[in-house]
Amino acid sequence: MNSLKTRTLMLLAVLGLAATFSFAALLRAEGTALTDKDLSSISASASTDEITAKGDPGAEFTGTVRDVTVSDSAKGLTLADLVNQAGQNKIAINFVWTLVTGFLVMFMQAGFALVETGLIRAKNANHTMMMNFMVYGLGLFAYYVCGFAIQMGGCAPIANLGGVYPLNHEQVVTLFGKPWGLFGTKGFFLHGATYDVGIMVLFLFQMVFMDTTTTIVTGSCAERWKYSAFCVSTIGLGALIYPLFGNWAWGCGWLSQLGVNFGLGHGYCDFAGSGVVHAVGGITACAVAMIIGPRIGKFNRNGSPNVIPGHNIVLVLAGCFILAFGWFGFNPGSTLGASGNGCLRIGSIAVNTMLAGCTGSFGALLYMWIRYGKPDASMAGNGLLAGLVAITAPSGFVNPLAAAVIGWIAGILVCLAVEFFDRVPKIDDPVGAISVHGVNGLWGVLSVGLFADGRSNYGGSWNGVAGSVKGLFYGDAGQLVAQLIGIATLLGAIFALSFLWNWLVDVVVGQRCNPKAELAGLDLPEMGAFCYPDFQLKTTESTIYASSGSSMALKD
Amino acid sequence: MRLIGILVIVGGWLIAISGLFVTNSNGVRAIIACAGIAVTIFGILKVLNGYYLERAIWKK
Repeated sequence: MNSLKTRTLMLLAVLGLAATFSFAALLRAEGTALTDKDLSSISASASTDEITAKGDPGAEFTGTVRDVTVSDSAKGLTLADLVNQAGQNKIAINFVWTLVTGFLVMFMQAGFALVETGLIRAKNANHTMMMNFMVYGLGLFAYYVCGFAIQMGGCAPIANLGGVYPLNHEQVVTLFGKPWGLFGTKGFFLHGATYDVGIMVLFLFQMVFMDTTTTIVTGSCAERWKYSAFCVSTIGLGALIYPLFGNWAWGCGWLSQLGVNFGLGHGYCDFAGSGVVHAVGGITACAVAMIIGPRIGKFNRNGSPNVIPGHNIVLVLAGCFILAFGWFGFNPGSTLGASGNGCLRIGSIAVNTMLAGCTGSFGALLYMWIRYGKPDASMAGNGLLAGLVAITAPSGFVNPLAAAVIGWIAGILVCLAVEFFDRVPKIDDPVGAISVHGVNGLWGVLSVGLFADGRSNYGGSWNGVAGSVKGLFYGDAGQLVAQLIGIATLLGAIFALSFLWNWLVDVVVGQRCNPKAELAGLDLPEMGAFCYPDFQLKTTESTIYASSGSSMALKD
Repeated sequence: MRLIGILVIVGGWLIAISGLFVTNSNGVRAIIACAGIAVTIFGILKVLNGYYLERAIWKK
């Protein structure tokens, strides 16, 4: 009996021991890291011969282990190969995303050209198109020579683009015990170490943003800006003025560090450039328009304004659609990636962009309808653009409801601002660029400090401050102060700089074309050819027939 | 007059910035920043633009 009991106990002990070892083995198997040896058994499900013979119409055999790059064919696939491939995939996704969105932003040049040309008179169409066309080349050249280095020369690291480590020198001065980043110093002519794949992507994306700024000015100064002055003015904007504020906001400059240095939220936050791109453009447009003065016939002797309608509303609204399309590159692209660091928020950013544009046009349409009895087409278009401009800074930080509200306010604001600039300071702005980009750019900057909801998370921090960006309505008054400092800088420093530069251009080159040329239209005197050579053009003084080889070349 | 306008504009900016150093209160800093912005706008629209309005083409 005892021996039976002992045997049973021994059997149970053995079974228990076996179960314990099996469980431990199972646990070990689950916790064991993969080794290179484990990878050797992985093979593609079809041979290249099979695919060569049959093809792969169902995409079953394309994108397999065969497509992972092996660094050493003797060793075969290793874990290091897999990890490197994963890293490259992430950066490749981000590169492609940033480049494609950059291409969309570049296409916005066409939208701006159409909007501005449609809003001016036919006799100046060639001149206006040529300004919009050449801002691309002039701005690009200036930005390549020195603008990019000043703006982004000290912005490293940017994890989404692989680090861009060579952009590592920011000129900093210490004032009152705090470091103030003023401008970058790496990347002139993209030479030396800045000949880098990530930096090329960053350059392209930032360049098209700068070009957007330069094209804003051409609208407000249309129909009276001397072409040579426009060229010089644009180079200054692309080479120095835009890059300087771009550095302060995006290139690790002092505005972006207000959070780190002074505890103001996350420092100045401008997700895609309501301030950096649009307000800088709008404020510069204001400075140049002031210097040039209004078009002949815009104001009567008693100061009352006249409406000078544009010549083609089809161009205007088609241009607005192109711009709205391009804005899907502008805002979602500003994540500089689609993989990692919270970049999956691109869907939310795109929806915010769409909503604000929609409510902006709706707000402007209703305002004009109620106030003047008709839904004005050009102001509906400007309302769309105003909503898009305003949501540009907060697009990455706010929820859809806030985006809709921001856009709606922008739509009404642009109508009020157009009336204000016409009636009070009497600054002539043929396309409403100061109202659309300047006023609503500032509104966009302010709205970050109000509506940022603290739900975004781009890698756990923004501008070196941990956590998410929150506005006043979500409990961070410091963020609002940072945004106000940004607005003061735009109005104080950037306006002053733009004014001084364009004053200098006025003294040296002369900003305004002569009155005879203006009255006749700038196409022939400034550009040497009409935009519509077979059309009958109305001028202020007389009606002329534009035709090739016209003998109506105007003399001073 | 134009130089005075520029000085007023830059002065407004400096007022806004000065709030960073004179207090740690965000409320006071916001008020100082708003004051600075107001001075800047005055400089742009009143002082500087006033100079150009006096010489406006439509007054000739």
